[in-house]
Amino acid sequence: MSEYVIEMCNITKEFPGIIANDNITLQLKKGEIHALLGENGAGKSTLMSVLFGLYQPEKGVIKKDGKEVKIKDPNDANALGIGMVHQHFKLVHNFSVLQNIILGVETTKGGFLKMDDARKKVMTLSEQYGLRVDPDALIENITVGMQQRVEILKMLYRDNEILIFDEPTAVLTPQEIDELMKIMKGLAAEGKSILFITHKLNEIKAVADRCTVLRKGKYVGTVNVADVSKEEMSEMMVGRKVSLNVEKEPSHPSEVVFEVEGLTVVNKEHGKKVVDNVSFQVRRGEIVCIAGIDGNGQSELIQAVTGLIKADSGTVKLKGEDITHASIRHRNTHGMSHIPEDRHKHGLVLDYPLSYNLVLQSYFEPEYCQAGFLKYDKINQYAEKLIGKYDIRSGQGGSTIARSMSGGNQQKAIVAREIDRDPDLLIAVQPTRGLDVGAIEYIHRQIVAERDRNKAVLLVSLELDEVMNLSDRILVIYEGQIVADLDPSKVTVQELGLYMAGSKREEGK
Amino acid sequence: MKDKRLGNPLQRQGVQNTIAAIIAILIGMLVGLIVLLFTDASRAGEGMMAILTGGLTDLKNMGQVLYYATPLIMTGLSVGFAKKTGLFNIGAPGQYMMGAFAAVYVGVKWTFLPAGIHCIVAVLAACLFGAIWGILPGLLKAWRGINEVITCIMMNYIAMSMSNVLIRAFIYDRAKNQSFRPDETAELPKMGFDKIFVGESGTPSSVNAGIVVAIVLAIVVWVVLEKTKMGYELKACGFNKDAAKYAGISEKRNIVQAMIISGALAGIGGGLNYLAGAGTGIMVADTLAQQGFDGIAVALLGMSNPIAIIFTGILMAYLTVGGLAMQSFGFVSQVITIITSVIVYFAAFILFFSQIIAKFAKGKGEKQNANAEPGDSGQAPPAQPPTPPTEGGEQA
Amino acid sequence: MKKSKKLLALLLSLAMIVGLAACTSTNPSGGNTETQSGNSASPSGNTETQSGGTVTDSAGSILNEDGTFEIAMITDKGDINDKSFNQGTWEGILDYCQTNGKTCKYYKPVDATTDDYVAAMEQAIKDGAKVVVTPGFLFEEPVYIVQENHPDVKFILIDGNPHNADYSDYKTTDNTVGILFSEEQVGYLAGYAAVKDGYTKLGFFGGQPVPAVIRYGYGYVQGANDAAKELGITVDMRYFNTDSFDATPEAQTRAASWYTAGTEIIFGCGGSVGNSVMAAAEQNNGLVIGVDVDQSTESDTVVSSAMKGLSAAVEQMLDSYYNDNFSVGGQNLTLGAADDAVKLPMDTSKWQNFTQEDYDALYAKLASGEITLQKDTDANGNPIASPVDLGCTNVNVTVE
Repeated sequence: MSEYVIEMCNITKEFPGIIANDNITLQLKKGEIHALLGENGAGKSTLMSVLFGLYQPEKGVIKKDGKEVKIKDPNDANALGIGMVHQHFKLVHNFSVLQNIILGVETTKGGFLKMDDARKKVMTLSEQYGLRVDPDALIENITVGMQQRVEILKMLYRDNEILIFDEPTAVLTPQEIDELMKIMKGLAAEGKSILFITHKLNEIKAVADRCTVLRKGKYVGTVNVADVSKEEMSEMMVGRKVSLNVEKEPSHPSEVVFEVEGLTVVNKEHGKKVVDNVSFQVRRGEIVCIAGIDGNGQSELIQAVTGLIKADSGTVKLKGEDITHASIRHRNTHGMSHIPEDRHKHGLVLDYPLSYNLVLQSYFEPEYCQAGFLKYDKINQYAEKLIGKYDIRSGQGGSTIARSMSGGNQQKAIVAREIDRDPDLLIAVQPTRGLDVGAIEYIHRQIVAERDRNKAVLLVSLELDEVMNLSDRILVIYEGQIVADLDPSKVTVQELGLYMAGSKREEGK
Repeated sequence: MKDKRLGNPLQRQGVQNTIAAIIAILIGMLVGLIVLLFTDASRAGEGMMAILTGGLTDLKNMGQVLYYATPLIMTGLSVGFAKKTGLFNIGAPGQYMMGAFAAVYVGVKWTFLPAGIHCIVAVLAACLFGAIWGILPGLLKAWRGINEVITCIMMNYIAMSMSNVLIRAFIYDRAKNQSFRPDETAELPKMGFDKIFVGESGTPSSVNAGIVVAIVLAIVVWVVLEKTKMGYELKACGFNKDAAKYAGISEKRNIVQAMIISGALAGIGGGLNYLAGAGTGIMVADTLAQQGFDGIAVALLGMSNPIAIIFTGILMAYLTVGGLAMQSFGFVSQVITIITSVIVYFAAFILFFSQIIAKFAKGKGEKQNANAEPGDSGQAPPAQPPTPPTEGGEQA
Repeated sequence: MKKSKKLLALLLSLAMIVGLAACTSTNPSGGNTETQSGNSASPSGNTETQSGGTVTDSAGSILNEDGTFEIAMITDKGDINDKSFNQGTWEGILDYCQTNGKTCKYYKPVDATTDDYVAAMEQAIKDGAKVVVTPGFLFEEPVYIVQENHPDVKFILIDGNPHNADYSDYKTTDNTVGILFSEEQVGYLAGYAAVKDGYTKLGFFGGQPVPAVIRYGYGYVQGANDAAKELGITVDMRYFNTDSFDATPEAQTRAASWYTAGTEIIFGCGGSVGNSVMAAAEQNNGLVIGVDVDQSTESDTVVSSAMKGLSAAVEQMLDSYYNDNFSVGGQNLTLGAADDAVKLPMDTSKWQNFTQEDYDALYAKLASGEITLQKDTDANGNPIASPVDLGCTNVNVTVE
């Protein structure tokens, strides 16, 4: 019997124009937690899709317990005991936990579901691995962390031996992450083998035994996590040395630029206050970060202050001017810049060339527009200038269609556009979401530079590292309310987590 | 690498679309040939040849091609323009019909206008009525969020019945159960075309200034879309209305604006067709204007590009004329309807075809690339992958 | 990916084959003049050789073996099988050709404009047509234009007289004959017979109010009036024209409402509109008078039909071309009872009291001119707007 429960040997998977996996070998021991580390586009997902039977590799073999197997589709994978928790959960929201778990593998008797047997099995598993779920709760009523545990239970219920976790911590609070780590360790101890896909080094350090690193579709190496430092791993991942910490001077806040008073937004569909009486100020020369778990009203708050949705009550003031009811154009031309949360939805017209996108907020200015006609030479000049200044990489310069650019460069284009307008207030919502380490580093530096140019910066982030590294002041948002106003130098990640989870509240907030 | 991309024409979007459109046309022709073979194998070759050359056999037929193309280009522009701004204007038949009515009404009734002015006013009336017919779905979409497809379809039927009622009330030629013909002063000038495009027996083709108007308007639409602030905003809305909103562009105003222009274009199409002096009034019939629907096909095949629409409009007209020529060989002209339908059907696959072509081109480029740099151990990034590795991260 | 490449290659090669096939065929426009020896003559699956050395092709045309023909028909805005004018005319032509071993072919114009009709006629002439038959008044202007350019070709215009666009000039050249029918005479026969047969609640359900339909209707009213006068009674008549020649649910509903309101017999006059009336009659125990052709086979409710001899007239004209040097040329004929061109089919009619003798006597009066009728225009050529204006005292006409 082989030492490895699953081996993927010399896997090569090509797509037209790109080799997504180039001769990659991955060996998973029984009972280990094996991390798969790589930047976006490094080939992690492709490799897992090959293992899960979604793609067929051009070259290479997959072995289960030393025997070569063919995995043609997910059913084959299931039969071999391979299960996967996807990044986006695959659950039926108006079904109960139990119904979701048995979905697809229902046992029936005379056409009727044998729910009692299923319930017994789920309860046993739940206890055995400390998963603590209520089998009768509806999915729509339980937390994201709980939903993830349901996904895990689904795999266990199917007696899967090899469990794949695809970026499982992206949606969790620090507490939930700790919980998940414990569960994973428990599973490994029970003899399950775990493949853990991530780009977060802390988590690998915390939980993984070994780590395989991919870079640009190629195999870099497999290391024992205990033997290497985070810095070494990140160097393997990126291919060069990177600094993991943002270097910045202490802030020197001056006058108030942006003031929000009693802002409330009511969701039209369910009538709940998604932003509830929020008040805060942002001064020149400081980075104020709104921290919170996704879905606690950050998006609505920002959309309301930027004019994308209407606030139901409260006032928003920019440089002393009440802009609560001002048009988006007015806000944009009076000192507000906005790096939107979703660069594809709001930030860019993907089918426009880069140059058009770079003037998205200024094409109407006399400099680029005369008598209704656009001055393309001026626009192109400006685009070339920004491309050079902000190091935006694109195949054909300003005429590159935005869609064909990499995510990092798309984001850089947005950052360049918004910063170059020389705003008084820069609102940046998850500016580094989905980007690799290098791009993150770059954007962080730009944001700090803006602060140092005495601009006000309002940052919204879900990444705790980013929050802790970048901000001069942290506002924690929970269920639409600001529950804490913290100094990052005086608060720990754990404490911040408690505020974010709503189990702690600053006095007077 | 930059140079190479420009060097390989297959990698350019426009070329890909053109090839894809040609493939759609070829498939249509092929199906047509099959139909011909089934009806009469011995003469299918001649019949096909008649379709292919019918529009070129004499000058009159060439003129007829341009004449039939005129309304098709206009309705094609209407649909294509709306498409560019993210709207599906299926209301072109209605707008066309209302435009036709307005033009004929002015042509019949306002005979006090001097020649020269008369036809201009008639075309402007067509433009206005088409625009009015476009604005209603636009307003409903902008302020009430009602899908323009539904309202446009309803507006089509309203236009059909309404023009019947209006014709009967104001300009009804009872003997022929159609509208009166526009006065001669309202007819579009022939611009000497009737001297050029003349058949063997001396009868001129119906082609007139309308085709010039259509081509000029196509160029104007292109300029508006590509060169102006308005076009920038309209297209931004069409591509991504959220991003347009984020950039402070009023989506509502844009929708209404786009539908007005779109409707006006279709309306002008109706006007130009009935002011051609080809000898007909508007039939009083319970059918939607075919030219309006053909406009969808023309726009689809032309990928909504105004300049391409000139050519696809002419192509459709060319096939129509070929349909008449084909009858010389004993084939019913409905074969042409089959061919155009198949072309339209496959035009819907144009994106699919051009993607294949793009992949084909890229795959080739990739191989060349690989051959050019053998042994280069992965330092060179792939040519232009669908999800390119993060170049920024590498060197930032 | 590989599959799609193969598909692409396949398509492209097929396209080339199309091109080659097209190249090898003979010059298309000369197809009628150049004889393809033994090629098109060899009957394929869809052509059948006939006794006189002619073949019938897929579209139903009768051609010589080399593809040539002499008689061409141009359809108007309808199709060849419209159960109306186009079909009636075409059947007449086919009948003549089959009987006399002649050849014929029809063309469908691109659109219903004068220029399109002209184009189609010229296409036919270019393909070698010696006689061009055009059914319908929409051809008045096209024939006016074409007749002078082609003095060697004969034109038979049915249901109209050639004139220019603004009606300022009527001209029928020696190579053209224009034919109108006295529809009012057969309408008169129908109306007279219906009242004589004892019906007192009549209906006229017309198609588009084109001149022919109006003449049918006005004749019908006058016939009913004369019979009522003779019987010393007054009859009721509901009178309606639809907007089209199509069978529509609206038309059927309206006809049904007439029957339920007491109307006994309706003259369904105008293409498929008549079918709507028949459908309504079948459901409501009503009766129908058919139009144009003998419609007794279409429904049991049809009592009789007001026929006009469309195909007979066409055959007459063709006969004049082939055997009489086209002596009819240059004339505008109005064919009526005197020419035996209109009739009620008494053999299939189901009249109770109106006998063959009654019919013959009445027909003779019409043929001799003893009975003269008002058409759709008055003495000055102005249209008579409504049947109420006909001055019929014994018919209460209600126009709807």
